[in-house]
Amino acid sequence: MRLEILIAGRGGQGILFLGHVLGKAIAEHTSLHVLGSETYAAETRGGDSRVDLVVADREEEADFIKVMRADIALFMHQLQLDAYKDLVRDGAVVFLDSSNVTDVPQRSWRVYAEPYTDIAEREVGTSRVANMVALGHLVGVTSVVPPEAIESAIREVVAREWVDVNLRAFRHLLRKGSA
Amino acid sequence: MRYEYITGNTAIAKASITAGLKFYAGYPITPTSDIFEYLARELPKRGGHVVQFEDEIASINAAVGASWACAKSMTATSGPGFSLMLETLSLAVITETPLVVAYVMRTGPSTGVPTRSGQYDVLQATYGFHGGLVIPVLAPSTPQEAYDLTVRAFNVSEELRTPVVLLSDAVVAHTYGKVAVRERGEVEVVDRGKPSVSPEAYRPYDPLGGLVPPMACFGEGYNVLVESLTHDERGYYAPRTDIQRRLMWRLYRKVVESSEKLFDYSATHLDGCEHALVSYGSTALSARAAAKLLREEGFRACSVTLRTLFPVYEEGVAGLLKGVEKVFVVENNVGLYFRELRGVLRDKEVVSVPLIDLDMPLPQEVAGVVKKWL
Repeated sequence: MRLEILIAGRGGQGILFLGHVLGKAIAEHTSLHVLGSETYAAETRGGDSRVDLVVADREEEADFIKVMRADIALFMHQLQLDAYKDLVRDGAVVFLDSSNVTDVPQRSWRVYAEPYTDIAEREVGTSRVANMVALGHLVGVTSVVPPEAIESAIREVVAREWVDVNLRAFRHLLRKGSA
Repeated sequence: MRYEYITGNTAIAKASITAGLKFYAGYPITPTSDIFEYLARELPKRGGHVVQFEDEIASINAAVGASWACAKSMTATSGPGFSLMLETLSLAVITETPLVVAYVMRTGPSTGVPTRSGQYDVLQATYGFHGGLVIPVLAPSTPQEAYDLTVRAFNVSEELRTPVVLLSDAVVAHTYGKVAVRERGEVEVVDRGKPSVSPEAYRPYDPLGGLVPPMACFGEGYNVLVESLTHDERGYYAPRTDIQRRLMWRLYRKVVESSEKLFDYSATHLDGCEHALVSYGSTALSARAAAKLLREEGFRACSVTLRTLFPVYEEGVAGLLKGVEKVFVVENNVGLYFRELRGVLRDKEVVSVPLIDLDMPLPQEVAGVVKKWL
């Protein structure tokens, strides 16, 4: 088994953090192997942010570290969907933040679109955890990693006062995904 | 043992502590500095010392001195810094000082593109210092290999009393991976041989019939001479051809005759392979993925990742590739290590696949170049 996961959005949307939590959960809480790489712009806000994860059950299958044909993709912004859509294979599972993505190309993807940013702001009280809302959706639908693994990773990485808000955000679409 | 999701640089830093690092001296340089940052935070908690010096020259000199005080020592740098360290690397060779230099390659020459990757310095790593000898060079291609080879680098440096270069690159440095992190007691840790004779009978450069002299440190009651001039077994300056011959051949042989023991590689689909893609460092991941693409197209392709680049174990490399028709040496430079392998594989067609890329050559590009030769 070899799986390519592409996470992309604009600087400030928590893309690298999302990718780190997902990679850490896979590496430290499952038997799967994972290689992850981060790409980000010099600007703190607004530039391209991207995480590529290559997940495999055998170590030798986790080879080239850049996504070439993503099996799972998450786009938090229109600009990165436009920039990286050709890296997503036909039949892939694609998650979109419909708060920021309106124009979806006609492809044979399984598309899951929810307004992650609006949900985070409305339901959890801050748009800063839109990334965790999206991660909950991704994990619920794909079961790429058990939700408990993500929650453990969040508890290990996030400063104590922010753990609860991240967990609430993560859980918001988790069940919607698995239903 | 526990699994952690860490970068190649963090893996080097963590492994160095497990291997017994007690003294780190360095000067910050991209893409190496996070090794320094991690150790500055963690090594003092484990009884070690971390010092930032005014430059790379002072850093490696301090590391050599600390090693003579029996502290396992390391420094880390990249191309411009390694160039500054070369004079003292030569000193470490002739004084037979155990030392690990983590060399994280970036795009060069000179300042090049400091944040991006390349493998331009693969020959400099072992041939760069003056004096015409060989030092071991180990090259990780993943964060896990960065961890494992760091432990190995320390052990080799102790066992052979030699500086060892751990040759990483900017891609490995900042790639995250699942790494089996081990504690002291969970890995084999080698310590330098100690004298078993009385201080009066001790001669600091006497290999006692072998190739590696036992090493007394400062403060242990032995007379210790750290001599950069050509010296006899006592450590006394001896400008004589017979002494120079004896010293040079011993320093050469102790490394080169360890090549079989140091040989380390991984391979995929070697059975029945006709076209071998040989690579090292981060480019090995491109080569492995390219070999897979070629197999999908029906070619009998395999990949070999060399983890030990120097000394070259000639019989080992030749034996490994014995049944192969063509050997492709894939690297992110103008084709440097190719020269080493061509000399070893004289009865084979060896093709250089030099693909310069600021990150990693794309597998499709590697496969495309290889196919032109099939």
